[in-house]
Amino acid sequence: MRVELALFASLRRYLPDGGDGHEQTIDLPDGTTVGQVISMLGLPDEPRVVFVNGRHAHDEQPLHDGDRLAVFPPVAGG
Amino acid sequence: MSPSEEEAILGRLARTRVGIIGLGGLGSNVAWMLVRAGVGALVLADPDAVEAGNLDRQFYFLDQVGLAKTDALAANLLRIRPDVRLELHRVRVTGENVAAIFGGCNAIVEAVDAAETKAAVIATCCDALPDTPLVAASGIAGTGPADRVVTQRLGEAVWLCGDAETPADGHALVAPRVALVAAHQALAVVRVLLGEPEP
Repeated sequence: MRVELALFASLRRYLPDGGDGHEQTIDLPDGTTVGQVISMLGLPDEPRVVFVNGRHAHDEQPLHDGDRLAVFPPVAGG
Repeated sequence: MSPSEEEAILGRLARTRVGIIGLGGLGSNVAWMLVRAGVGALVLADPDAVEAGNLDRQFYFLDQVGLAKTDALAANLLRIRPDVRLELHRVRVTGENVAAIFGGCNAIVEAVDAAETKAAVIATCCDALPDTPLVAASGIAGTGPADRVVTQRLGEAVWLCGDAETPADGHALVAPRVALVAAHQALAVVRVLLGEPEP
């Protein structure tokens, strides 16, 4: 299956293609979960918020062909 | 803007209720902007008291040091608009209380401090109130150029204001930049409430 991956802010450098943008389409085995993608990408163990198709998602959520997975790392300051 | 357009906007905003989670540099400034813009009701939540060190960027005054932020902010907002309806909660917002406190809001502002808390508050709001617009902030510190502060749409009902990258740990919190991000949040709320969801 193909999933559109969007990594925001400091996470952009973890995109597999290492390009300048923050989005990339990746191929994954069917049934791969959000948490498995995060682990595969080697994202740092820091606070993050995950959306699948614009809705908040948890690590155990399985992805489907055509999904858009977005990961955003909030930084301190309020 | 014509008087009739202004009246129409004020009329729409007067019927809205906005929640603010965290009443620090972001939340206290978002609050007065929304009150001046004409929002009818605010639900304000913060467990802390005003400290002297807050006065460099937060909407409080020296004689309010030691007061609960909820009470001090309410007093200041009512001096601007005595008719604004305020609901005060001197609590930390969690997954257990978020729906009860903010369930009746037309939009919610995330304005907490620590990165872990931000992630938890955003997740909590998205899970408990998935259809309530949430305007969050990240990247408010430092003295970077104003035009690096942006509003972007993160999810179906989630907007993010800030430069997204400059953390408060290791960078100064400077009043104009904090207020700039607060203004982005307040404007995003107004736009969403008026049916203009795109940043």
